[in-house]
Amino acid sequence: MIIGTVIGQVWSTQKNETLEGLRFLVVRPFTTDGRESAETIIAVDPLGAGIGERVLVVAGRAARHVIGRGHDIGYQTAVAAIIDGMELEGGRHVGPSLEFDS
Amino acid sequence: MFLGRVIGEVWATQKVADLEGKRLLVIEALDDERDPLAPMVKPVVAADPIGAGIGERVVVAFGKAARVACGGDGDYAFEAAVVGIVDDLDVPSAPSSWTSAEAPAGGAS
Repeated sequence: MIIGTVIGQVWSTQKNETLEGLRFLVVRPFTTDGRESAETIIAVDPLGAGIGERVLVVAGRAARHVIGRGHDIGYQTAVAAIIDGMELEGGRHVGPSLEFDS
Repeated sequence: MFLGRVIGEVWATQKVADLEGKRLLVIEALDDERDPLAPMVKPVVAADPIGAGIGERVVVAFGKAARVACGGDGDYAFEAAVVGIVDDLDVPSAPSSWTSAEAPAGGAS
């Protein structure tokens, strides 16, 4: 599982039928040194996270379980939680989005 | 499985039902000393059925091993879990960050 910030949403009309009706988010992984990750990942979102929100992203079987359509489906990452905050060592607090960080 | 250091804890109210009551830790892998110009570190979030504290070194498992560690091999909405807290380790070539509870140089600021 990784932490990431939602930076956008993807729409696709022509897609694998097992992906019908699902919302796809573009998520940028959180890094501990404060630098922006250059990587982005796509995750199915059953919870309704918005742009800027921090989320917990799970992969593989855990992600398919989150979606609840069995395991023969065409995706491997999903949002499992919307993060309220994180307490990191050194008293550093990471909030639900960038503007709440200390 | 990898060796990591607990650097924090995550709170979330809105989450899938399986994660209810699960303690979620933020864990950084204990790798070799990092070059400040090296790629940034993406921490892993793992469920913690054992009760590790911030700064402790832990063994983290992925996949089915992680789900089993959290009780049963059923379907859970997570794929990483703490399966052990390290008491001691003997790796002569390990950098100092492996053996101290302090944050590694060039790590979180």
